[in-house]
Amino acid sequence: MKKGIALLLALALCLGALAGCSQPQSQASDPVTGPSQGADSPDTPKDPVTVTVWHDGDEGIMQTIADQVNAQLADDQITVVFEKKTDMPNQLKLYGSDAANAPDLYFYAHDVLGTFVAMDILAPLSDVIDTSVLADHLSMTVEAGQIGGTQYLLPVYFETLVLLYNKALWEGDIPGTTEELYDYMVAHTDAAAGTYAVVNQHTGAYNVSPFIYGFGGYIIDEDGKPGLNDPKTIEAAEYNRKFGALQADGDYNTVTTLFNEGKAAAIIGGPWLVSGIEAAGIDYGVASLSDIKLPNGNGLAPFSGIQGVGVLKTALADKKDAVAKVLTAMASPEVGVDLANKSGCAPANNKSYDDPQVASNEMIAVIQKTASTARPMPNIPEMNAMWGPAEAMLTAINKNGADPAQAAADAQAAAEQAVADMQ
Amino acid sequence: MKQKLRWKPWLYCVPALLLILIVIAFPIVYTGWISLTNMNLYHWADYQVIGLDNYVRALFKFDSGFLSALATTLVWTVFNMVIQIGAGFFIALGLNAPGLKLSRVYKTLLMVPWAVPAYISILLWRVGMFNTEFGILNKFLSVLGFDKVDFLASNAIAFISCMALNLWMALPFMISTIDGALQSVDTSLYESATLDGTGFWVRTWSITVPAVRPIIAPAAVMTTFITFKQFDIIYLLTQQRGYMTGATLNTVITYAHQNAFASNNYGLSSAVSMLLFVVIILFSILTNRSLRED
Repeated sequence: MKKGIALLLALALCLGALAGCSQPQSQASDPVTGPSQGADSPDTPKDPVTVTVWHDGDEGIMQTIADQVNAQLADDQITVVFEKKTDMPNQLKLYGSDAANAPDLYFYAHDVLGTFVAMDILAPLSDVIDTSVLADHLSMTVEAGQIGGTQYLLPVYFETLVLLYNKALWEGDIPGTTEELYDYMVAHTDAAAGTYAVVNQHTGAYNVSPFIYGFGGYIIDEDGKPGLNDPKTIEAAEYNRKFGALQADGDYNTVTTLFNEGKAAAIIGGPWLVSGIEAAGIDYGVASLSDIKLPNGNGLAPFSGIQGVGVLKTALADKKDAVAKVLTAMASPEVGVDLANKSGCAPANNKSYDDPQVASNEMIAVIQKTASTARPMPNIPEMNAMWGPAEAMLTAINKNGADPAQAAADAQAAAEQAVADMQ
Repeated sequence: MKQKLRWKPWLYCVPALLLILIVIAFPIVYTGWISLTNMNLYHWADYQVIGLDNYVRALFKFDSGFLSALATTLVWTVFNMVIQIGAGFFIALGLNAPGLKLSRVYKTLLMVPWAVPAYISILLWRVGMFNTEFGILNKFLSVLGFDKVDFLASNAIAFISCMALNLWMALPFMISTIDGALQSVDTSLYESATLDGTGFWVRTWSITVPAVRPIIAPAAVMTTFITFKQFDIIYLLTQQRGYMTGATLNTVITYAHQNAFASNNYGLSSAVSMLLFVVIILFSILTNRSLRED
């Protein structure tokens, strides 16, 4: 009898362990051409629909978008829910094609777009909405959301690097050239005492992009060719070294804490730093990097990141109409106005700037001005493999005293290998 | 009857075997399967079997850089294990010293580093201990009038810094294991030895060490593997994107990660993983054999 029970229990355990392996019947339908909820007749009462959006950004910004979109779609019983996922791009790689676990939309910068398109997990926006909703958007933001001429990302706001300075610590005007800026840094930096004039993440490719692109160099071109050993890139990296020597360790936590604690008079950063700076009670000013000229006469030319929303193919089966309405709402000028006024984000929709409060926002005006020299980050899949080698090169030059040409050659070889390894 | 008995024990073990199969064997077999395919960004869902091509490419990853990383890993493992076992042994002896008050409080406190999640510990040490601006070590140096030191900037000092953190995180396990082993030593042996006039070192070497060795050996072997395949401490302290410190220190795992995992080519990185798996299995066989001979 006992043996019988033991065998029965063993069998039950085995079945229990395998119970999760069954295929839910609802997933058997075609994910793209399955029945659309919008097929209901107008008389049919609408069922509430929740559209899930994964992001890895500031929760306050996402809440601002959600509040505005949900208010616009209240009559349609559509609710947008933002879910924060740490390291969202990698999570989307795992779940992007899994109808049971994937979100309906994702919200992220445009530089990962090529990766997701290559994985074939995104639907072109034209499959869901009429892309004429982007007619009023800044062309730079629209183009950043395209791969091979197809629009995959609906731009919502954009950001770039600016010079944020502490008005109580900065002496005089913001210099007009990098050489004057360097002289100011030499005169106002006391590393032993832990006080700095300007801090920057001087070994991060994103934060050194103003020098690289200002010098005419590049990290990777449109054809996926790494440009770390381009003479202009090397020249920029070498020029950046003397600034790095006066900018503390250069990691994100160190430089932001130095600025927020009043130990650095200025920081090269973006609007994402503003909430922390305001919380620290610092009276800050903003200056455009494009107004600071390099020795070659060009203004500093930082990367710009276009934050927007993409549609997962798996969402089209059941929620195509709801997703279309959400995208249309996100493209509206009202979302841009709220983002600008509540979170200091520069809207992608040009009409948002008609709002007087947006037009008078200093941070947004500076970001808009910097957009004239800013370069949207490359959005091809190969860009994903470039951050590591580019950062290794800048670290070798700034922290190990490596010969710039040699460090560039090593980084170029590593980048070419990484790009080749993708295939 | 005998025929019946032969399969019955296996039947009782099926749930446990199934669990082991799912948790341990399946990921290895699946990685092996992926390594034979061209699964990458461009063939995410429509990947095909391409034979051993990935292994041919993976072998090129095992270049001079890999050999250097392997040497670093061996040095890292030896240093860490010697210090861990040595320090762990003497700390455990101290905690068992007759007449020591509040020994349970000390033992509980010593468990704290082990209880803290690794990522948190690493972050705390990176910012709170080693940081040039805010780290406590540099604060002390400043107070004493010395220049700031970047404890993660070059390979030698980064190796020592990483090792200090690893010891902080791993020592509690070794101390608790040795502490447990010390409880099992027959105290009458010490009494006899004391009557014979032996000193501390002789008693330790002739009674304590032989008595605890068989008990701590499995823990030592386990810790050796954990130390050998160390990734998080070295990666998060010196190589994380946005926090590269200038040290080019690599263990075999960080080297493989740097060279094969950044490209989202799952076929290739699976092949590298399988080859690393073979390296670690060989290392395990060698360690187990030396332990048996011992």
